[in-house]
Amino acid sequence: MNFMPGYPPPPHMHSIFVSDLHLCPSRPQINRIFFDFLRGQAASAQALFILGDLFEYWAGDDDDTPFNQSVVAALRDYTSRGSALYLMHGNRDFLIGERFLEATGSTLLPDPTTIDLNGVPTLLLHGDTLCTDDVKYMAFRAKVRDPAYQQQFLAQPLATRKQIIAGLRAENAGEKQQKSDAIMDVATATVEAAFRENPCPRMIHGHTHRPALHHHVVDGRGYERWVLADWYRTGSYLVCDATGCRNVDL
Amino acid sequence: MVNLHTSHGVISIELDAAKAPVTSENFLGYVKSGHYDNTVFHRVIDGFMIQGGGFEPGMSQKSTGTPIKNEADNQLKNDRYTIAMARTGDPHSATAQFFINVGDNDFLNYKSSTAQGWGYCVFGKVTAGTDIVDKIKGVKTGNRAGHQDVPVEDVVITKAEIV
Repeated sequence: MNFMPGYPPPPHMHSIFVSDLHLCPSRPQINRIFFDFLRGQAASAQALFILGDLFEYWAGDDDDTPFNQSVVAALRDYTSRGSALYLMHGNRDFLIGERFLEATGSTLLPDPTTIDLNGVPTLLLHGDTLCTDDVKYMAFRAKVRDPAYQQQFLAQPLATRKQIIAGLRAENAGEKQQKSDAIMDVATATVEAAFRENPCPRMIHGHTHRPALHHHVVDGRGYERWVLADWYRTGSYLVCDATGCRNVDL
Repeated sequence: MVNLHTSHGVISIELDAAKAPVTSENFLGYVKSGHYDNTVFHRVIDGFMIQGGGFEPGMSQKSTGTPIKNEADNQLKNDRYTIAMARTGDPHSATAQFFINVGDNDFLNYKSSTAQGWGYCVFGKVTAGTDIVDKIKGVKTGNRAGHQDVPVEDVVITKAEIV
């Protein structure tokens, strides 16, 4: 990417984190909650971080459905009012590209990214890279995150891409019933390795849909790991300011 | 020593070729070729940094040369009025864009040779014109062409020259 948006990233003071909204036309009440949130609670934040799976699925920036356009408009409206918007790819919407970023005025963060959050170095991830016990998923991920794979995928007509995605989603829904709860959660060893490699006292991620605050001790030092909630039932966000982080359900 | 002639005044920068040889040479190359002439400070965040060297007035991005290796492990710190190279999330992706710190940005410093820990390479400091930097950091900014924190009125580098 030639485009060099937002680097270096500024220190963040009053920031809000969400993930796993899985926005789609079939959950209109959640879309309403999200649009209200953008104009309400999120509006007073300096920055909003969407750590992956904003959309239920994303076939490419050329998927100009009225629904997708409504989300773009809401996000553009948000950034035009002065708050910064940072996105991270999730396992559903990793094909979000430059056209979407420019249209919404948002910045794409790599996964993982370290930010300064009120003086506390904080590691941000979507969270799927921590689920290393799900070997089948990790192999799939390696395949679809390969730029060569993505290039050939995006070169196909939109209708074909949507067919492929629909097929994958049907397959995935079936498999999920059979996967054990354990392998779909983060692997402790992988989390600890992440803390070792990225010496941040705090980590924030989503993906597992198991909202909680976890404390880890690695090499004698304490770390906190915040897991964000999904938006299947209602909205939920993590707000971080000078007093620390706290979870709020809408 | 490099003088940046800007719409707000002259900023003089002393490069540290001993601690950042590749970065200094790369920067001087862009100065000599006239790359920085008629570019803007396109990203200005008060209390943080002012960034430029990549866009012409009107926000068209200029093409750049080969990325250089990150020399941030040179003990130089991202303190106020130092100059450092901007880059993408790839630690070794810096080309022409640079930024001048307007705070002591410790979190930008090198921590480790990992993707997250590399930090941003400081390669010099402002020796004259810190008042000009302070003027620039306070200009009104907004969103433009999909970018955030863009000065509403262009802050232009009319000429960059080696002195």
